[in-house]
Amino acid sequence: MIVEVLFFGATAEATGERAIEFSLSENVNADEAFAAILKSFPGLQQNFKNSLLFAVNQEYSGGDKIIKNGDELAVFTAVSGG
Amino acid sequence: MITEKDFFELTTEPIDVGEVARRFVPNDCGATVALDGYVRQFTKGRETLYLEYESYEPMALKEMEKLIAEAHKQFEISLVGIVHRLGRLEIGETSVVISVAAPHRRAAFEGCEWLIRELKRTVPIWKKEIYAGGETWVEGEKNLTADEHR
Repeated sequence: MIVEVLFFGATAEATGERAIEFSLSENVNADEAFAAILKSFPGLQQNFKNSLLFAVNQEYSGGDKIIKNGDELAVFTAVSGG
Repeated sequence: MITEKDFFELTTEPIDVGEVARRFVPNDCGATVALDGYVRQFTKGRETLYLEYESYEPMALKEMEKLIAEAHKQFEISLVGIVHRLGRLEIGETSVVISVAAPHRRAAFEGCEWLIRELKRTVPIWKKEIYAGGETWVEGEKNLTADEHR
């Protein structure tokens, strides 16, 4: 299945991408999906280690939530608004 | 639940603090506390030239709405307005205004402080600091709990 993956700020700069289509196996959960994305962009984990946050369909997400075809995923660093 | 007069916005235009604070003056209130957050020139001795803000806009708006709903639960307040600016901001320009109206001032102060603290922790907005000789994306503290991730 295909999902959209969005990057912002530092993760957009590190990957050189803002929005990509990404292929995942059926029935993966959020943790597995984000692990697959990080594997495709090794620079993310090298640069940002534990400061990465993940969202699915515009909600903070992770764990065993099942990802569906067409979902909007996002990978970004700890936020710094204000 | 938020009320029909609560508001939360992202804009690339300059923010008029007084307009945000005074947009609604509820008749059951006696005080509005408005935070004017603006671009600091010197941080621990380093000079900032300007900042660039960007956001995951639809998610940022959802997170702001959640914060306002939670603030209504925790504090005796009547109205919240949050306006955050995006794009390039010069020194001294307002980046965020959080306006909280309440029957009595104490709840407005406490609600406003809680809202800015949570906004800086959860709302997906990032700033890049441009200083003499370089630039860097400012990284917030990652302190969302595991529960909040689900």
